Amino acid sequence: MTTEVRELHDSARQVLGGIDLAADEQATWPLIADLGWLMISTPEDMGGLGMGLAGACALHMELGRRLATIPFLPATLAIEAICLGDLPGREAWLERLTAGSDYVAAPLAESALHLLPGDKELAGTAVAVQSADRASHVMVWTSSGDCVALVALDRPGVKIHARPTWDTTRRLFEVEFAGAVLDDALVLARGPAAQALARRLATVRDFALAAEAAGGAAALLDLTVEYLQTRQQFGRPLALFQALKHRCADLKALTEGAQALLQDSLAKLGDYPGGIAQAELAGRAAKQLACSAYASVTEESLQLHGGIGMTSEHVCHLFLKRAMLNEHLGRSQESCSSDLAKAFLECS
Amino acid sequence: MTAANNTESLRREVRSWLEQSTPSGWREAMTGTDQESFVRLQRDWFGKLAAAGYATPHWPEGWPGGGRSLAEQKVIFEEVARADAPRLILFFVALYHAACTLLECGSAGQRDRYLPGILAGEIWCQGFSEPNAGSDLASLKTRAERRGDRYIINGQKTWSTMAQYADRCLLLARTDKSGPPQAGLTYLLLDMRAPGVTVRPISQITGDDEFAEIFFDDVEIPVEERVGDERAGWAVAQATLASERGLTLVELSQRMRYSLPLIAAEMRATGRADDPATRRELGHLIARVDATCALADRYLLKRISGEEAPGDASIVKLYYARTLREFTSLGRRIAGLEGQYYRGFMRGATQETGNWTVDFMNSYNWSIAGGSDEIQRNIISERMLGMPREPRSWQLGSQR
Repeated sequence: MTTEVRELHDSARQVLGGIDLAADEQATWPLIADLGWLMISTPEDMGGLGMGLAGACALHMELGRRLATIPFLPATLAIEAICLGDLPGREAWLERLTAGSDYVAAPLAESALHLLPGDKELAGTAVAVQSADRASHVMVWTSSGDCVALVALDRPGVKIHARPTWDTTRRLFEVEFAGAVLDDALVLARGPAAQALARRLATVRDFALAAEAAGGAAALLDLTVEYLQTRQQFGRPLALFQALKHRCADLKALTEGAQALLQDSLAKLGDYPGGIAQAELAGRAAKQLACSAYASVTEESLQLHGGIGMTSEHVCHLFLKRAMLNEHLGRSQESCSSDLAKAFLECS
Repeated sequence: MTAANNTESLRREVRSWLEQSTPSGWREAMTGTDQESFVRLQRDWFGKLAAAGYATPHWPEGWPGGGRSLAEQKVIFEEVARADAPRLILFFVALYHAACTLLECGSAGQRDRYLPGILAGEIWCQGFSEPNAGSDLASLKTRAERRGDRYIINGQKTWSTMAQYADRCLLLARTDKSGPPQAGLTYLLLDMRAPGVTVRPISQITGDDEFAEIFFDDVEIPVEERVGDERAGWAVAQATLASERGLTLVELSQRMRYSLPLIAAEMRATGRADDPATRRELGHLIARVDATCALADRYLLKRISGEEAPGDASIVKLYYARTLREFTSLGRRIAGLEGQYYRGFMRGATQETGNWTVDFMNSYNWSIAGGSDEIQRNIISERMLGMPREPRSWQLGSQR
C-alpha cells in the first residue's frame, strides 16, 4: 500500500468514526461530497484526485467498516463510466456528480438488459440499483456489452420499483425499461469500445465490493473481540476461553488473507501484461475471497455473541445481512470461482 | 543503480543460472527411491548452489555469497520456486538455524570453527523438541550437568529433521530445575559422533523417515561449545527460530501456486474437467493460493521495512497450513479410488507432488511442526487481537 493510500485510510477512518454505524444516508452524503471522496479516482486532468481504484477501494473499505448507507459505490461507478466514456458536456456532468448535487445510479448486480431491434430502445431490468429514488439517471450496460449509456429516470418507458431487502443498510430498487428510447447524447460507448468499458466497470465493481466486504469483516471481528472481552460468564470474560479465541484467530486469518489479496491485486493492476482479462480475474478472486471471509465472520460473530446477537438492537445482524447480500452483488460467488477455474483450465 | 534495479538484475542472473543448473528430472529420480539417493542429490545440489553463492545470501558480507539484502534473498527464493529446483531440506538447519544462531549469539571462536564447515556441506540438526515438550517447549527435561569444563547430557530429543545424517546438533538442554522453566535452559553445540549419542529414525505415516529421535547417555560436551551464557538458552533458541525470517513461506507459497496445474491434470485424468462443482472448488482454491502468496509477500515486505507486528508471522503460517490442507484434500478427492492405491512417494519435493494421499498426509507437517496451528491461534488471539491468556489454574490444583 502506498503512503498516500494509507493516509487516506487513516483520515477516512477518523472522519467516519465520528458518525454512527449505518448513519442516515442524507446526513452522510453531504459530508463525503465535501471531502471530495466522489472524485477520488477521477483523473487529475479532469479535476479529480487521481488516486485510482486503490484510492477508491480504501474508501469503500472504510465505508464498509461503518455500514455506510450512502450509494457511494454506484455513484463512483457511474463517475468512472463518464470519465472513460464519450459524453458531450462531460465536464459539467463531472462537476455536478463529484459535488454530490446530482446522483447517477448504477446496478450493483448483473442485469439482463438488451437493445430492441434498431438499437435505439432499451429493454429489461436493471437490478440492485441503490437509492434510485434519489437519482436523476442510471448508468447501465447491456448484457452483450455493446452499449453503455445513461438513462434519465423520468423518461417514458422507465419505471422504478422499490425492492426492500433484509439488508436495511442499503435501499435497493429495480429499474424496468420497457422500450425506453436512448438519448444519443447520453450514450457513453457503443460496439467494441462499449464492451471494453463494460468489462472494466464490472471489474471495478467487483474490487469495490471486495473492499467493502473486507472492511465490514474486519470491523465486525473487532466488535466481536471487544464483546468477548467484556461479557463475563462462569466468573471470567468469554475472551479467556480458548475455544472462542481460536475461532477469532481463524476469522482474523481469513480477513487478513482477503485484505492481502485485494491490496496485492490493486497494487499490480497497472502491470498486468494480460490487460483487462487478467484484471478481471484478479477482481473475481478478490471479490470471491473477501465476500466469503465476510460471510464467515458474520456467521461466526452472531454465534459468538450468543442471545444478544439475535436481537435487533445489536449491530450483529446488520453486518450479517449486508454480508449475505454482498455475496449476490457484482459477480456472484459461484460465477467468480467458476470463471477463475475456467481461465486456469484453459491455460494449463 | 536503484535497489529495485539491483533486485531485477539479480533476478535475471539467478533465473538464467537456474535454467542451466537445475538438475533435470529430479522429481522422477526421487520418486520411489531410497534415502541414500536423496542425500546424494541434496549434496550435489547444495554444492552447486554454494559454489554459485546462492546458498548463503543471508550471511554477512565477507562470506562467500553473503551480504545480500532481505529483498535480494527473497528474489533468490522466488526464483528457486519458479525453476522448480529441489529444496535444500538437508542443509536448511545448518545454513539458517545454525549459522544465524552463531552469527547472532555465538563467540568469534565458534563462528571460525563452524561456519566454514557449514559452507563445505556439514549437516546440522536441531535438538529442541522432546516427547513431552512439543508445543510447550520450555518444559523440556533433557539434562545438561556441569562437571568441570564439560557438560554431561542425559535425555532424549525427538522430531529432529534428518538427524540420522547430521554431523552436529543444536541442543537445548536444562541446566537448572529451579525458577521459571525458560530460565533454566542452556544452548549447546553437539558433535553427533560423540560417545553416548544414539539416533533412531522415526517411521512416518507416509513410509518416509525424515525425522529422528536422539538419545543421550552421559554424552560429554566441552564448555566452550555453549552458545551464550548458562541459563540464557531460551533467548538463543529464539534467535534460531527467527532465522529464516519468512523466506521459507515465500518460497513454499510460490511453489504451491506453480503446483496448481497438478489439480487441473487430475481433473482431466479423471474426466472431471467440466464438472461445475469441482471447478468451483478449484476456483476458490486459486483465490486462496493467491492470497497465501500475497500474505507471505506482504509479511516479508513488512520485515524489510521494519514494520513487522506481533502475530504477523502466525497469520502467514496458519493461512499457508490451512490452504495446503485444502489443496491436497481437493486433489485427493478428485483422484478418487485411484488415489488410494499405493504409489512410492517423491522425496524432497515439498508438499505438492500429485501423489495426493501422501501429499494430504504430509500437509500435517505444516499444521503441526514449527508451532502448530493451535499455537499460531493462541499467538494471533493474544498478541494481535489482545485476548487474555488462560490462567494457569490447573497447575495450582493438586498436580505438581
